[in-house]
Amino acid sequence: MQALRLFTLVTAACLGLLGCGRSEQAKAPAPAPPPAAAPVAPAPFRVGAVELGNAIGADKRVSVPSSAFAPTDTIYASVATEGASPSVTLTARWTYEDGQLVDESSETIAPTGPAVTEFHVAKPDGWPTGRYKVEITASGQPAGEREFEVR
Amino acid sequence: MAGDKPKPDFSNVRSGSSSTAPSPAAPPPERYTVVAGDSLSKIAKKYYGDASQWKRIFEANRDQIKNPDLIQPGWKLVIPPKA
Repeated sequence: MQALRLFTLVTAACLGLLGCGRSEQAKAPAPAPPPAAAPVAPAPFRVGAVELGNAIGADKRVSVPSSAFAPTDTIYASVATEGASPSVTLTARWTYEDGQLVDESSETIAPTGPAVTEFHVAKPDGWPTGRYKVEITASGQPAGEREFEVR
Repeated sequence: MAGDKPKPDFSNVRSGSSSTAPSPAAPPPERYTVVAGDSLSKIAKKYYGDASQWKRIFEANRDQIKNPDLIQPGWKLVIPPKA
């Protein structure tokens, strides 16, 4: 009888161990392989900030943003863009007071990421005082504008 | 009206632009294979609509064309893009 009880205890212990072993296996499955990295699509092109100033740095950004200029200043508009495009034409249209055209110039670019494009205008005999505006378009679509004053 | 302020003259405004972004790649130049009876004037007329533009083709192919009046069938000429 004692032998039978001992046998039962040993068998139960063994089954318990086996069960635990199975349980452990279930808790620790083999690590799944990491998912394949999906190709990253380039960000769509968009125009960001337009800033005005009377000087730019090597990065084409205006050194000190301003909206008031002296008649002798060269006026810079820096246009920050993001994203990629095989070809986009940025145009700066400068107007005076009631819309009189001052100048219009374009730059065609093929950005592959963040970029800065600058436009500048100068008038050797000095700017007439008054209010001006520069409008930026990207391939014909309005992309930003800034008003400024010459005084 | 007599009281109207005269409009300022902006005709002497100097402008420019530049960018940190690259410029779009230029399309590859067109190539034309000379056939019997061709002349540079004829090819210029075909591509530019103006026979007098033959010199542009001549200049672009100076390595191959020694005499502009003598071009040989089979030559592959570079055709510069329209100005």
